[in-house]
Amino acid sequence: MIQFEGVAKTYQSGKQEIHALNGIDLTVETGEIYGVIGFSGAGKSSLIRTVNLLERPSAGRVLIQGQDISTLSSKEIRTIRKDIGMIFQHFNLLNSKTVYHNVAMPLLLAKTPKSDIDKQVKNLLDFVGLADQAQKYPDQLSGGQKQRIGIARALATNPSVLLCDEATSALDPQTTKSILDLLRKINKEYNITILLITHEMGVIREICDKVAVLEAGKVIEQGSVFDIFSNPQQPTTKRFVRSVMNDELPESLLAQIQAAKSDNAIYRLQFTGTSVGKPFMSRVSRDFNVDLNVLFGNITELQGVPYGNLIVEFSGVPSEIELALSSIRDSDIHIEEVNNYVS
Amino acid sequence: MSVNYEQILEALWETVYMTGAAFGFSLLIGFPLGILLVVTRKGHLLESEPISKVLNVVINIFRSVPFIILMVAIIPLTRLIVGTSIGTAAAIVPLVFYAGPYIARLIENSLLEVDKGVIEAAQAMGASPMQIIFRFLIPEALSSLVLALTIAMVGLIGASAMAGAIGGGGLGDLAITYGYQRFDTLVMFITVAILVVLVQGVQSLGNVLSRTVRRS
Repeated sequence: MIQFEGVAKTYQSGKQEIHALNGIDLTVETGEIYGVIGFSGAGKSSLIRTVNLLERPSAGRVLIQGQDISTLSSKEIRTIRKDIGMIFQHFNLLNSKTVYHNVAMPLLLAKTPKSDIDKQVKNLLDFVGLADQAQKYPDQLSGGQKQRIGIARALATNPSVLLCDEATSALDPQTTKSILDLLRKINKEYNITILLITHEMGVIREICDKVAVLEAGKVIEQGSVFDIFSNPQQPTTKRFVRSVMNDELPESLLAQIQAAKSDNAIYRLQFTGTSVGKPFMSRVSRDFNVDLNVLFGNITELQGVPYGNLIVEFSGVPSEIELALSSIRDSDIHIEEVNNYVS
Repeated sequence: MSVNYEQILEALWETVYMTGAAFGFSLLIGFPLGILLVVTRKGHLLESEPISKVLNVVINIFRSVPFIILMVAIIPLTRLIVGTSIGTAAAIVPLVFYAGPYIARLIENSLLEVDKGVIEAAQAMGASPMQIIFRFLIPEALSSLVLALTIAMVGLIGASAMAGAIGGGGLGDLAITYGYQRFDTLVMFITVAILVVLVQGVQSLGNVLSRTVRRS
């Protein structure tokens, strides 16, 4: 478990004070994949670095397994760092060393016996799918392969926490997906707690259990990925959610509706989990005297739960529409009127 | 020709001996200083403003004194170390004072080229400052370090020519006393040609070595 308690970080830049972190309170439970998202300059990178003290907080505490790490001596810090793996956006591998040597490095530093190193490195390279590349050098590998080496290296000392610093930001979408799959596998198979920072909402949707949105050094919103995606509150969060889940009416359609000046009611219907499977539209249309016209919609999956979002135009007698709406509400579908589109 | 081949051979040996020995001692002094210059910088492994400031001032002072003056200025010290202020061995002392700080700067430069991310990764895996220096910084910079030291070596060969001023001997001395002062064009030509070959050889060796240590 990682706990941030009022963590602040202030830099001195000339005469100016820069507040990178402004009192962060977060709890990452053991075995979780926790994502921190924010635009550049939001303080993500400072935040993740306070966990292994690559940056010391100016105020507040970071507790790992209940232990306040800021009170540790530099020797104790080095010990605890071996329990916290870290991977980086630009991989940070040694270009002068082979893949094998790169992965073996943390073990060499810990003065592990040679035969143990050999066994561990082979296992790890196997795990990340690069067993046949052991004698190559990093500059002979692709970005995705380099990140796999970075992951193998981070896992060498069997850490209980893995920090991912924009680990997929330098990779193409296909490679990003394969690296995220690997991270999920690590989380499941080794029960390693993962804290990742990113500016890509797709990464959060893909693998995280929980998410915190960081802005100007503050957590502006946090919660389960499902809750944040299905019901974002803050404008920044909404922007992030929209970057991967297009739930807005397309321009052309919007223009069409506005031109028609229809006074029909338009609603946004959000349905999740079990309600996705129900054929509510044909039922409602049959039971009440209303016509339903789907203007826009998408169905996606969040944390393994289907999540649908439809924009529907209801036409019919107002009283019938009212009845139809309440019937829809009864089947666990969230309804929201969307009149701003036509106004 | 006013000199015989034996004299030329002897001068060649003196040059090789002077520059070789001076290079060895300079490396001994310059390497640790170069590392210190890097790691005591602001935000680096062993940040220390006082050490960094003092080192920089001292190194800059030595780097700014012209070699010919340095040679004369440290004569008392040379006498203390070698027992005499004249001869090839005596020339090594000022050469070390000249090349040591130079090498420190060159090494600083090479080590600074190492990606900060690599150092961060090293810290994140729990490496101690010593481990970071010897297992990360130096191996990553090795290829560039070899090239930098090649530059220092060539510089030393050039500086050794001035050692004649204190009777240091060597090819440069031969070129000046016989070639220049006695107008013996042939001696001048031969000594300069040997120096050219020497420098070419050192540079080629440095290039090859740099390539081989790029991956270790």
